[in-house]
Amino acid sequence: MVRKGPGSAAGRAGAMPGGRALPGAVGALCRAMPPRARLVPEGLRRAKLDRPQATLDFWRLLYALLKQIHGGKWSEADAIDTQIRFVKLALWYQGYGRPELYRLPSDGSAGSRELLLAFSWLLHRISLLEQLLARNRVRTGDETSVCMCEDDLSQSEQGTTEIAPEYGPEDRVDVRYLQWLNGRLRFQWRSLHAQHQEQCKLLHKIHLLTSGSHVDQILGHFSVTEMDLIRQTENYKQLVQLLERETMQLEAFLEWKQLEPVYWQWMETVLDNMAEEGNMCKPQDAHIEKSSLPKVTSCCPWADSLTGQINKLSRDLMALRDQLHELVTHRKSAWEEKPAERRRLISLQRQFPAGPCEPVLLRVRGLGKEATSEMLELGDEAKSLGAHVKDDREGSPRALVVPSNEAVKCQIKIGWEINVTKTHLKGKS
Amino acid sequence: MSLVTVQLGQCGNQIGREVFNAICSDVHGTHGLCSKKENESYHDACKERFFIEAESGVPVARAVLVDMEPKVISQTLSIAAKSGYWKYDDHSHFCQKQGSGNNWANGYTVHGPRHKEAIMNLVQKEAEKCDRLGGFFTIMSMAGGTGSGLGAFVTQCLRDAFPSSFILNHVIWPYGTGEVIVQNYNSVLTLSHLYQSSDALLVHENDVIHKVCAQLMHMKQISFKDVNQVIAHQLGSVFQPTYTAEDGLHYSRNPLGDLMETLVPHPEFKMLGLRNIPQMPENSLAYSTFSWPGLIKHLRQMLIANAKMEEGIDWQVQPPRPGSSVPSSRSTNKLLHFNTSIANLVILRGKDTHSADLGSFRDPSLYTSWLNPQDAFSAWKTPRAFNKYEKSASLVSNSQFLLKPLDNVVRKAWNMFASKAYVHQYTKYGIEEEDFLDSFTALEQVISSYTIL
Repeated sequence: MVRKGPGSAAGRAGAMPGGRALPGAVGALCRAMPPRARLVPEGLRRAKLDRPQATLDFWRLLYALLKQIHGGKWSEADAIDTQIRFVKLALWYQGYGRPELYRLPSDGSAGSRELLLAFSWLLHRISLLEQLLARNRVRTGDETSVCMCEDDLSQSEQGTTEIAPEYGPEDRVDVRYLQWLNGRLRFQWRSLHAQHQEQCKLLHKIHLLTSGSHVDQILGHFSVTEMDLIRQTENYKQLVQLLERETMQLEAFLEWKQLEPVYWQWMETVLDNMAEEGNMCKPQDAHIEKSSLPKVTSCCPWADSLTGQINKLSRDLMALRDQLHELVTHRKSAWEEKPAERRRLISLQRQFPAGPCEPVLLRVRGLGKEATSEMLELGDEAKSLGAHVKDDREGSPRALVVPSNEAVKCQIKIGWEINVTKTHLKGKS
Repeated sequence: MSLVTVQLGQCGNQIGREVFNAICSDVHGTHGLCSKKENESYHDACKERFFIEAESGVPVARAVLVDMEPKVISQTLSIAAKSGYWKYDDHSHFCQKQGSGNNWANGYTVHGPRHKEAIMNLVQKEAEKCDRLGGFFTIMSMAGGTGSGLGAFVTQCLRDAFPSSFILNHVIWPYGTGEVIVQNYNSVLTLSHLYQSSDALLVHENDVIHKVCAQLMHMKQISFKDVNQVIAHQLGSVFQPTYTAEDGLHYSRNPLGDLMETLVPHPEFKMLGLRNIPQMPENSLAYSTFSWPGLIKHLRQMLIANAKMEEGIDWQVQPPRPGSSVPSSRSTNKLLHFNTSIANLVILRGKDTHSADLGSFRDPSLYTSWLNPQDAFSAWKTPRAFNKYEKSASLVSNSQFLLKPLDNVVRKAWNMFASKAYVHQYTKYGIEEEDFLDSFTALEQVISSYTIL
């Protein structure tokens, strides 16, 4: 369950908490909406009661708002199922995880309460009103920007990320033609760069030449819009209209901000209603299976490429994991083929903290006279290879690293616990 | 959008002066043959492109003059100012007291670095005066001493200082039987260095222009001034304002960018040739009439047969028939006679340009196999007539025009180099034999790229 809104758990006084304040809050909210997104207080009330008539309006409202957020082109005449699909995708992109919404029918016949929930979630989650107000400001023309748009080109979903596209024999393209196209692109980029520099230069000129003329002392110069107004004074009417509209929206927004807690209390009643009607589902993973995700369409190219990239990455990761797994099993099986040595080494590892390649300290008892001299020799040899040789009180070696067959030659009584292979003496330091 | 002209050496300065002269007299002439409004926008576009409005009302050319000797520069400045129509900026020139003795290496390794800061300061100042820098147009000779060595160095500095600007080098190809004995060395070194820093090389051959003067203009005593005036006329016909789109409402504000984009996007093919018709003495103009079909037909044949002017064109040469068995590039007809193009730009100025039919230039057999005519061919037009010619057509072509001259120069230079003749003059100043070899390799690469079209 998703409980949103600044927590004001106190004061749940029934269907209309706050009494007079609620119509005020709702009214302010409706007035703060941007011009092309229509919302009426009655629509909110109907949605709370889950009336089907309110559903279409709510879908259209969400469509208009989300299109403005994402900066795409749209018109009211777009087909309703396109609108619904877009809204679902956009909500998915924003991270709305409530599955009931995605199961709503694409003809807009039911589900206004779900849409109300989604709308309120957006209001809070992505600061919907603030974003829209920022986007719809009257421009002064003084902004310059650097294009940071991502690569929107659709990418094929086949193949891993590294493999270059392969051309069949019929598709052969002369590389000189590609170089030609590349060169053209670079020249066009340079022209664009020059135009951009020109724009900055002219902007600077305007500011320079009008400095000191502005009413606002700190700013001191005119903006491009103001310059334009001086040259074409008949445009002032339009500008005044735009400014008045923006002022109204901002005032409504301020009003809304003050009355906002009332709205969230009311939303809580909506949630309670849903709980009572038993429509609540158990909390699920945020991850919804692919099958329930609406089909990707051209109306959301950025979502398209994003899901494509995510899929590709997850496939690459799976492939890498499989490869690693393979390597590991291969190594393991190669390892298994030498059981005897394995046992020795394993037991070495168990008994001695040092690795199997390090010279190992052995205790030896019961040496005969000949054995002693041979042991001395071996001891020297071992010393020269870095083995640690411990002598007993009489000076004969007690502990050293000894190859197994040499040990037999020495006829030393077995006092050591392990057999060490020849390879360990052969200079593996 | 504005072009900054950099005039390098004696040759560059003299030609530069003639170019501004030609442009100015074209703008002030009364033979525009178009509406007043058209004339005014042409005038404005031209002014923005080449001149700055000064307080005195006389337009100042956007140019930097560079030479090692003071004589030519002061001549240039005074002649320009005398015309009353335009002048140079009094401070926008750089010269020294002594010459560089026709030594390329001296110009490149000694004078260049020594005077780099002063010259680049002047260029920077001119560039800052432009609201929009449309690129640099340098004029120089390929084989002289100052112009070529210093010019190659200055082009490199331009590229370093303005990495994303367009740079077009106008290069004068020396007479085949020129006076300077090391002119082929100079040419090879200049071309190979320019190829690296410049975006395009627009070439005028002295021999060709000389013939134009003799045969078409009927001049008896041909001086450098006459040659320079013809060159200036041809350059003006390319760089004066035009509409680059079919239904353009404004004169193009990006001539260099448009030119580069249509002709030289491929980094290996940068050599451009220029043809302009009709060309005739001024006093004959009044008695001549022109038709677009005739002009276009001649221009096309000049392209195909690699003719230098509109007289003496070889009409036998035809493009290879499509569908015939693919000839190896060694087939005699293709190699010796037919001029394969990579890209062409045709500029039409004058009456009734809208009725001119350029379909014959869109024939795919004119072009190399890997480029189709939509990409390879462009046309710019303007109804405003140029320099008293009721109709004129220019062709800027990226084709095999310069393959033979280039091949000749490289071959002669190589023969000299094989016997190490005069190489000490260069090694004295730091141009080693490896540098020569690098230059030869680079140009051989260019020759081979153009040959296998």
